[in-house]
Amino acid sequence: MTNMASDGKAVTRKKVFSRETAVRIDIQANKSIIWALLTNAEDFSRWNSTILSIEGDITKGEKIKLKSVLDPKRTFKLKVKEFEAENRLVWGDAMGKRTYTLKTVGDELTNFMMTEKIGGPMFPLFARMIPPFDQSFEKFAKDLKKEAEFIQNSK
Amino acid sequence: MTNAQFTNEFEQARPQLKAYILRITASVQDSEDIVQDTFIKASEKIDTFRGESSVRTWIFTIASNLAKDNLRAKKRWTENVTDICREKALSNPNYFPEIMQIQQTSQQAKFEIKEHINFCLTCISKSLPLEQQICLLLKEVHEFKVLEISKILDITEAMVKYYLHTARAKMVKIFEGRCALINKKGTCHQCSELNGIFNPKQNFEEEKNKIEFAKKANDPNREHLLDLRLEIVKNIDPFNSNGSDLQLHHLEHNRKVMDDVTKKK
Repeated sequence: MTNMASDGKAVTRKKVFSRETAVRIDIQANKSIIWALLTNAEDFSRWNSTILSIEGDITKGEKIKLKSVLDPKRTFKLKVKEFEAENRLVWGDAMGKRTYTLKTVGDELTNFMMTEKIGGPMFPLFARMIPPFDQSFEKFAKDLKKEAEFIQNSK
Repeated sequence: MTNAQFTNEFEQARPQLKAYILRITASVQDSEDIVQDTFIKASEKIDTFRGESSVRTWIFTIASNLAKDNLRAKKRWTENVTDICREKALSNPNYFPEIMQIQQTSQQAKFEIKEHINFCLTCISKSLPLEQQICLLLKEVHEFKVLEISKILDITEAMVKYYLHTARAKMVKIFEGRCALINKKGTCHQCSELNGIFNPKQNFEEEKNKIEFAKKANDPNREHLLDLRLEIVKNIDPFNSNGSDLQLHHLEHNRKVMDDVTKKK
């Protein structure tokens, strides 16, 4: 999905054994601000309307507990699998992984992309029980853009 | 720059510098030591000062670097610091006799609500991560520009803006939940309690209405209330105010209590 438009619209591709949702958006802010927002667990729910809470340290090898608006009663226990400062962050569990990538594309202009791939041999059995991510992904990207640009433009 | 010029500039900055370090370390002794070490270090390096920033910015840079290495500055407190310390004060039989003695013997032991607000902000801001607290103090209390702060801390302007924004957001949230001056459901009434003890003849409601942010407690712009609170802090020299001896004693008490709390963790 690397060629998708940077318009903040989510795209989902379904296969028999997996499902992948992605969103991409340009943010008029320095990459470091966006990275800081994405890696400050305690502060996440303040600016991100799709996250109820994240506990733990978002850093390489650490485990975090995430509660999402999509499924408020469930706590996702995830591991931070990749942590390449200001470039790439991956967390996930046995079911799937979420990847965040940041690229500087201009003067204080950053391209943000988020993808989540879930799947496995048993995926067809529980696929129907997993709600679509599109709307939540679009909200996430919109919230991140709003917060990062607000900080960038602060005096 | 001659030694005399430097000394003159340093002495002008000294009260602000001392207040800045006090708010980071919560220790009178450490703030005095760090300010003195800053003077010595800067004096030794006068030759390297190229005038790329103001002398004040340069002095604050040296002091900030020293403060960042200070153990008490590194220690972060919890948001409920005032609850923890209040309990400890109430269970300490020496606490009230001590403050009463300060009141009787010191010329600078008058309890004023605005000074307690300054004390309170120092305690609450120590629950922020250190970088956030430093950015908040440098920008909102000591009126440095974002570019100057980025030079003082040797970080990008973008990160200064990030730390500042998150610090402000967290302070607004904490005061919203705790401060009874701006929220009727606020859990902390310490300023009214202490005012009742030290100034029993005062009408607290009248006194409260002299505090701008308390008067505007219903303002939906909560960031503005924080700005008004910071405005009070900006105008108080914690070492040389009407109630400085009282408030410094109170701060030392809280620091010792929090030193014990953080040691146990």
